[in-house]
Amino acid sequence: MTGLPFGSGREPSLSLRLTRAGVRDTARGERLLASPALAGVLPDVAQVLPEHLGDTADPDLALLGLVALAEAVAGDAALSGALAGALADDPAARARLLAVLGASSALGNVLAAHPQALPVVLDPQPATGVPVEQVRAELLRAVHADPDSPVPVAGLVGAAGTDAMRLAYRTRLLRIAANDLTSVEPLTRMPATAAALADLAAAALEASLALARADLPDHGAQVRLAVIGMGKTGGRELNYVSDVDVIYVAEPVEGAPEDEALAMGARLAAGLARACSTASGEPALWPVDAALRPEGKNGPLVRTLASHRAYYERWASTWEFQALLKARPLAGDVELGRAYVAMVQPMVWSAVGRENFVEDAQAMRRRVEENVPRAEADRQIKLGVGGLRDVEFTVQLLQLVHGRADESIRSGNTLTALAALAAGGYVGRDHAAQLAVCYRFLRVVEHRVQLMRMQRTHLMPTTEPELTRLARSVGMRIEGAQGLSDRWRQVRRDVRRLHEELFYRPLLPATAQLSADEARLAPQAAQARLAAIGYRDPAGALRHIGALTEGVSRRAAIQRQLLPVMLGWFADGADPDGGLLAFRRLSDELGATHWYLKLLRDSGTAGRRLAQALSTSRYVADALARSPESVRWLDDDADLEPRTFARLMGEADAILTRADEPVPAATALRALRRRELARTAAADVLGVVTGTRASQSLTVAADVVLAGALRIARFEARRQLDLAQDPTSMLVVAMGRLGGGEVGYSSDADVLFVRGRADDEELAQEWAMATATRLRALLGDVGNEPALAVDADLRPEGRNGPLVRSLDAYAEYYGRWSSPWEAQALLRARPVAGDAELGERFVELIDPVRYPAGGLDLAGVREIRRIKARVEAERLPRGVDPARHLKLGRGGIADVEWTAQLLALQHAADVPGLRTTSTLAALGAAAQAGLLSAEDAQALTAAWELASRVRDGNVLWSGRLDGAHADLLPHDRRTLAGVARVLGYAPGAGGQLEEEYLRTARRARAVVERVFYG
Amino acid sequence: MDRQQDFVLRTVEERDIRFIRLWFTDVLGILKSVAIAPAELESAFSEGIGFDGSAIEGLTRVYEADMIAKPDPTTFQVLPWRGERHGAARMFCDLLTPDGEPSLADSRQVLRRALEKASAQGFTFYTHPEVEFYLFEAPADPTRTLVPVDQGGYFDHVPRGTAHDFRRAAITMLESMGISVEFSHHEAGPGQNEIDLRYADALTTADNIMTFRTVVKEVALEQGVFASFMPKPLADQPGSGMHTHLSLFAGDHNAFHEPGAPLELSKVGRSFIAGLLRHSAEITAVTNQFVNSYKRLWGGAEAPAYICWGHNNRSALVRVPMYKPGKGNSSRVEYRALDSSANPYLAFAVMLAAGLKGIEQGYELPEGAEDDVWELTDAERRSLGIEPLPTSLDEAIKLMQSSELVAETLGEHVFDYFLRNKSQEWLEYRAQVTPFELARFLPSL
Repeated sequence: MTGLPFGSGREPSLSLRLTRAGVRDTARGERLLASPALAGVLPDVAQVLPEHLGDTADPDLALLGLVALAEAVAGDAALSGALAGALADDPAARARLLAVLGASSALGNVLAAHPQALPVVLDPQPATGVPVEQVRAELLRAVHADPDSPVPVAGLVGAAGTDAMRLAYRTRLLRIAANDLTSVEPLTRMPATAAALADLAAAALEASLALARADLPDHGAQVRLAVIGMGKTGGRELNYVSDVDVIYVAEPVEGAPEDEALAMGARLAAGLARACSTASGEPALWPVDAALRPEGKNGPLVRTLASHRAYYERWASTWEFQALLKARPLAGDVELGRAYVAMVQPMVWSAVGRENFVEDAQAMRRRVEENVPRAEADRQIKLGVGGLRDVEFTVQLLQLVHGRADESIRSGNTLTALAALAAGGYVGRDHAAQLAVCYRFLRVVEHRVQLMRMQRTHLMPTTEPELTRLARSVGMRIEGAQGLSDRWRQVRRDVRRLHEELFYRPLLPATAQLSADEARLAPQAAQARLAAIGYRDPAGALRHIGALTEGVSRRAAIQRQLLPVMLGWFADGADPDGGLLAFRRLSDELGATHWYLKLLRDSGTAGRRLAQALSTSRYVADALARSPESVRWLDDDADLEPRTFARLMGEADAILTRADEPVPAATALRALRRRELARTAAADVLGVVTGTRASQSLTVAADVVLAGALRIARFEARRQLDLAQDPTSMLVVAMGRLGGGEVGYSSDADVLFVRGRADDEELAQEWAMATATRLRALLGDVGNEPALAVDADLRPEGRNGPLVRSLDAYAEYYGRWSSPWEAQALLRARPVAGDAELGERFVELIDPVRYPAGGLDLAGVREIRRIKARVEAERLPRGVDPARHLKLGRGGIADVEWTAQLLALQHAADVPGLRTTSTLAALGAAAQAGLLSAEDAQALTAAWELASRVRDGNVLWSGRLDGAHADLLPHDRRTLAGVARVLGYAPGAGGQLEEEYLRTARRARAVVERVFYG
Repeated sequence: MDRQQDFVLRTVEERDIRFIRLWFTDVLGILKSVAIAPAELESAFSEGIGFDGSAIEGLTRVYEADMIAKPDPTTFQVLPWRGERHGAARMFCDLLTPDGEPSLADSRQVLRRALEKASAQGFTFYTHPEVEFYLFEAPADPTRTLVPVDQGGYFDHVPRGTAHDFRRAAITMLESMGISVEFSHHEAGPGQNEIDLRYADALTTADNIMTFRTVVKEVALEQGVFASFMPKPLADQPGSGMHTHLSLFAGDHNAFHEPGAPLELSKVGRSFIAGLLRHSAEITAVTNQFVNSYKRLWGGAEAPAYICWGHNNRSALVRVPMYKPGKGNSSRVEYRALDSSANPYLAFAVMLAAGLKGIEQGYELPEGAEDDVWELTDAERRSLGIEPLPTSLDEAIKLMQSSELVAETLGEHVFDYFLRNKSQEWLEYRAQVTPFELARFLPSL
């Protein structure tokens, strides 16, 4: 502002008036208002206009557009007069014009290029609720086609026809936009606007078809072609700029040969698409997308009715039926279009009975959530969590589930369908209404974003001026950019929440409802819905839901809040029924505690993780039932992380220090291990700690328990023999998987017992024997807490040898007798508990045995191979397919371990890296030393890891530690699918796991044949 | 209930069908059949028919015997040969596990999977088989010398010939079952005939071949002769092959055809042939699955034992037939190793996979062979880079064992079963002492 603010008297300055109206660049505004073109139309424009600019989305833009328009009408007396009249004396017309110019630079350009369309914008006649025939006739006449002809053919051809059609389209579009933008309730107007846009698109397709006909020699007389609308066009809920999804159906007219008719149909369809979307004098309208047709982009563009039917009956997938829900004849042969819709309808409404409906629906939902580029995730109005697609998906899934039995809810229109679902009692009225508002809001925002440049975009703008403009255009002038962003985020959260509310809340039994507004599904409908999301025993599930939510207790009230969401999460797991049952048990146990329900209600992650763990793993479900307080871990990753040896050992120390009696002390140690098993299992199932890290965690727990139990056992043996102190030192050496740090959920502890020298050798031996025997009993006896079977069968002479030997006895034995297989077993020896110095001396003793200088001799190699061959032939349980035995089978764990061990026996003396108890480390070292090609090492590693994981998966899924099946790749499809879920595969990927295991093992076996057997 | 099922139920009612045979194929390509009454049909469509799969080659292991056969209503056909008034009909089945998943052991499923993979790349696979077989005097006793029904030769018209009547009856019956026959004639061997089925998509063709073999056996039975699809029943006469023409369509367009290209063969077509050739040795155990198959393959004459291709070269493994101007959609390649005893589902699946691999990896097509490759010396063949196909089932098994392509196409279960079964066959065969050995060695040793 310059000069005196009030210099010209009481009137505020022009510049101030422009600022008040929201003009950003007032200097330019003043210049524009003074422009000769505008002044030529209306001399006192500066007096009249500024205040009215304030009602537009972007006053600067509106003013610019107005000047351009004024320049365009200059010289045309009639148009100039109309413009002047509107600006000066016709408030309604003025509002319409300014609203369009302020909301869309693209439409402003259209007006400037075709000022003859101005009257349409000024005309107060409504653009919504216009009969579709009228719009169709308008566009057909534009291309000089007869709207009353059953097969209209355009009188105009080529670019002239295309441009005429497009101009007529844009003229009506201006009318719709003007109508839409001057609505005081854009959310209320939205459905009518969307319907008008869909009708306009249909009319444009009809006119384009007429143009396409005109291009063909006989006007395509051989073929009847129907254009079927899909997606938003089919649902009669189109937005301003979007691909128009169509499917073409063609039939020969009677007597015409089918192949010629189809060729003609394809040419018509191509011509139609050209008229809509190729470059010409007038810009293109939108792409016509026929990708939803059978076989997608690879399929023929047009098909006959019978060919469509054959495809849908034989090949179509579930999502195609979901898409067909919206099919509606748009243009072309009406009768054929209707016949097509009549043909697909029964298939759409029986799709819910398809074999893989549940898996397909889940996959579709994941696609809705996942197919968003990361960079756009926060700006997407359409895709992503809480976007438009999410609303549509919720509504369509409900329609598919219940529409089979109820014809009243089959509308292709999202809002109509939602209202029908509420009216039919399938969803709560309140929630349905809320979702409808969310949907309308998102759509209006999308419309306004698209209108600006007439661009196909679904992204929220990011800059402040753009957001402000958007806020003003959706009637949120006061709230502004920040208010709009806030509301948008809120809507997205609401959509997500409402999905749960709409889908799952009506499953709560009538007795659990507090408000009369809530929907109550009839038991049959509730069961259909539960079955559709994967519950195998919907009746049972309903009983659990009832038990959890009925009553007036606070507990039941919280459950009513929690359960709808939890039901959805259980359905994401492999065993929803099992998950729900376990949840009910847990809730019965813990419902009264102050923290349980509160944790689930308030923690973002605990509830979801609990549902995931309970519906994926029986083992975890049992473990949580055993120590319900473990549920708390789920809230915090730190609680799921493996505990270190030092930390657990400290805890074991504390237990032993406080204890007075051996057995309770041992029980406490076993409880400690159970807790760590549960922790690891939960973390494993949730994907927080898997594979090698999980087995290390299990190894640490076993190590600690062995160390603690050894202390108790020594104490007891002293007491038994009435000794004041230990007569010698004692050592426990871990062997097998424990030695390798590769413990699984069902592993035993393989060990050797070693004692030191003593003055009184006899007494020392007696004490050591008592200690070892006691240790095995303390950990292995039946008790309340899980046992750890301590197995010493790998000792010299096996079960015939003494349980404990002195270091000297070991030295003598290995000096005299040792066989290759004993050296092989020693590769995994690792001192785990007892005297550290004795441990060092034991390792010094066995190193030359297990890493023989110069490598294992040929006779030894032959012997190892022979034993392995015999093991393969004899140890495999009868009737078991060798390909499926995880431990002893073809390419299984033993195959890989023996190969790694043979390489170690042959080369560890020269390759220090091979002196490890870990199988994977040995394979890595062998590859590095060039003893194994990188591919071979990879094949063996992959097979070993997968077999180990499937073994653990068997335990986690079934909750059973033993039994013949623990070591087998499951046969039963359901078990297989469950184990696959535990391993982190997608739902329904059991077959994939099976193929992958068999393949991985087969490849590993090929390496074993070559490398091990030579 | 969809329309197809409706149609089947109605037809069964109208035609007074008393038995419906549910057909499926075991891993070795032998047709199996379960009969049900019309009353069971509806539940067969909705739930399938349970049966004990453990007795069927390669379907299951003993301890998970339950299988479900689910009829495919699009394959419904009234069987013409049970002449009685109350007819019988058949449908092919897909095999499912008790939880309704497609069985990994179902050959039809193997082919379906391969076709789906092709479809994902925009291709439909069409095949056109030329099936050869012998007619012998009945009963054909394996312990005696086989007597062919005539002494005719290639394309011979044998007056009042049994074979002529036979072909007419068989073709009439096939046509009445909706299987179109392109061509039929007397083949080179005495009593040997060839009937060519019209081209169709590979799944239909495989179903048709299964039906075809049954029809031929049935007609033979009616006419008092014995029909055999054994690859090489007579040591001194040509074997029975099943040369098969293959083509890929992208939409309505033949993907092998490119006007103006050499032999009018597109890049896709050339790569497909290259794939077939490069993988032909490892798929031979499937395309030529019996010990007897190798007697045909290495029996000389026109048998395609060497891996090469040619244009109208009747000794090449892959032949590109003469192109008929203006018939762009008839472009195709002929794979000549396949014999009449193959499991058509598995064979088509591996052939398709080999060709697709060529397309995916853009294999270069080697130089075509113009000479009769049997006439060349070993050294000449070597210098031309022409490798032989496996000479025995044993060699074929070894090559298949290390084939990722075959494992992936058949699926691990069928792959494993097939190899085990074939190894067993080889072991049993190797243990035989043949008349040849007795005749040659007994007198002198």
